[in-house]
Amino acid sequence: MRWYFGAVGPRRIIEFLLLTVFAVFFAGPLLNLLVLAFSGQWAYPHMLPDQWSFKWWNFVLRKDDVAHSIGLSFLIAAMVTALSIVLCIPAAYAFARLRFPFKRFFLFSFLLTHAFPKMGLYVSIAVLFYQLNLMNTLLGVVLIHMINVLMFMTWIPTAAFRNVHAAQEESARDVGATPFRVFRSITLPMAMPGILVASVFTFLNSLDEAQGTFLVGIPDFKTMPIVMYSIISDFPSSAGAVFSIILTAPTIILLLAAQRLVSADVMASGFQVK
Amino acid sequence: MKKNLRQAVWGLILVSPSFLLLLVIVVIPIGRSIVSSLVNESGGYDLSRYAFLFTDKGMRANILFTLRVTVISCALVLAVSYSLALYMRFSSGRLSEWIRKTYMIPLFIPGVIATYGLMNLLGNHGWLARLLLPLGIDLPRIIFDQKGIIIANLWFNIPFATMLLTSALAGIPASIIESAKDVGAGRLRIFLQFIFPLSYKTFLVALTFVFMGVIGSFTAPFLLGPNAPQMLGVSMEQVFGVFREHEQAAAMAVFTFLLCSVLGYFYIRNMAKEESGRL
Repeated sequence: MRWYFGAVGPRRIIEFLLLTVFAVFFAGPLLNLLVLAFSGQWAYPHMLPDQWSFKWWNFVLRKDDVAHSIGLSFLIAAMVTALSIVLCIPAAYAFARLRFPFKRFFLFSFLLTHAFPKMGLYVSIAVLFYQLNLMNTLLGVVLIHMINVLMFMTWIPTAAFRNVHAAQEESARDVGATPFRVFRSITLPMAMPGILVASVFTFLNSLDEAQGTFLVGIPDFKTMPIVMYSIISDFPSSAGAVFSIILTAPTIILLLAAQRLVSADVMASGFQVK
Repeated sequence: MKKNLRQAVWGLILVSPSFLLLLVIVVIPIGRSIVSSLVNESGGYDLSRYAFLFTDKGMRANILFTLRVTVISCALVLAVSYSLALYMRFSSGRLSEWIRKTYMIPLFIPGVIATYGLMNLLGNHGWLARLLLPLGIDLPRIIFDQKGIIIANLWFNIPFATMLLTSALAGIPASIIESAKDVGAGRLRIFLQFIFPLSYKTFLVALTFVFMGVIGSFTAPFLLGPNAPQMLGVSMEQVFGVFREHEQAAAMAVFTFLLCSVLGYFYIRNMAKEESGRL
């Protein structure tokens, strides 16, 4: 062993140790849930479950509000994504391509969604919703989910539209394409990766949103994270672990599908101007 | 001339729907909550809701607790994220490639799930305690304590801050660093004279996001924080939902806005400057 460590040098060893700590720190909690979900019995102080089983999967999947919450969560996430595409993509195109008065003011007004601490903002909205009778309504929940996504849903596509070279659009115009045709067959396809990343991020963000829904959607709009709150307090940890996996599965699937599109550069353009 | 006018009209038409939504869900609520935070018990207007924040013993403890957790979390998150981003920028090899591929995953994991995982891993009789038992190491109390909240904040914020900083460091041309090396500048000099000045704006953006993220957090402190003192996010939810004192909750919300206002102002101003540089 010693010759091996001697050969790689102390720097590599320290590097390796630090990265192990890092990996354990981030992967540990998730791995723990994975093990818990398939454990039947796990007495203290055993390091691994005494018995593996699927019984908690049966238990969780049989509960009515679980199935209901999955449907509701996906419905809300789909509505939020569709609404934000309809509202934000045209604005993003305008920011990237058109000259109009107060353009910078409008572009930066979207920063306001992220210039306030979230829970404070949610409570302010809840105070307003209470006066408008929007508490415990589908519209109220969708609106509160929109806050988180409004900024990057506008900014990521803006950056994507800007990266399409104007020369390509102009040459299409030169050979006689209409503005709409240029947008549909040149600008939009080239900006599509950015738009897709923003949409996937929006969908996941809405699926995972817990605190705003908890504040304005109780008691009728129990999305998956809200059911998770009550499972955590009412049931054994294995049941919570099973539900965690169900709740994380869509994230993993969508992320794998969009893996090639997601990069630090694209994501960062949603939170700062570069 | 005619073309310009058409562009201006189209631009405003395309922008207005999302801007109206922004007015409804951000600007108006904030304005109204400032107004309702000034309403006192008897229906008149004064600052009594704010005075309560500083005179009530429990509330004062909550505020101090929130500030302490926030400052510690920000310092740790930025130190780790900056080192990690630097490491990924300047070292190549299988390990750094591997981190590059995986470090963003926690960004997409639902907050409730990660919090729950941490509770099970670090809790009393949790997995870590079981794994460390044969080594004779006894874990201190982590869950339902300030340590638990800070650890959860690290989990949520390190990937995000690293993502922003990585993208900033990637924008620093390798040629600058190469030429500095050629004239014999040491690592520390290169860092202080080139790398930090070229990335400190993003550093501020990351600081802003982490600071606000922690002050405005709810899920982690709600599930794994102590019962008292509480983080302001949890206490606010309780005042609003359980005690139904909407004016008091509004005053607490406005107070968290004030805490963040300096950073928020610098963030917006910085972005505006940056943008005007490109137009």
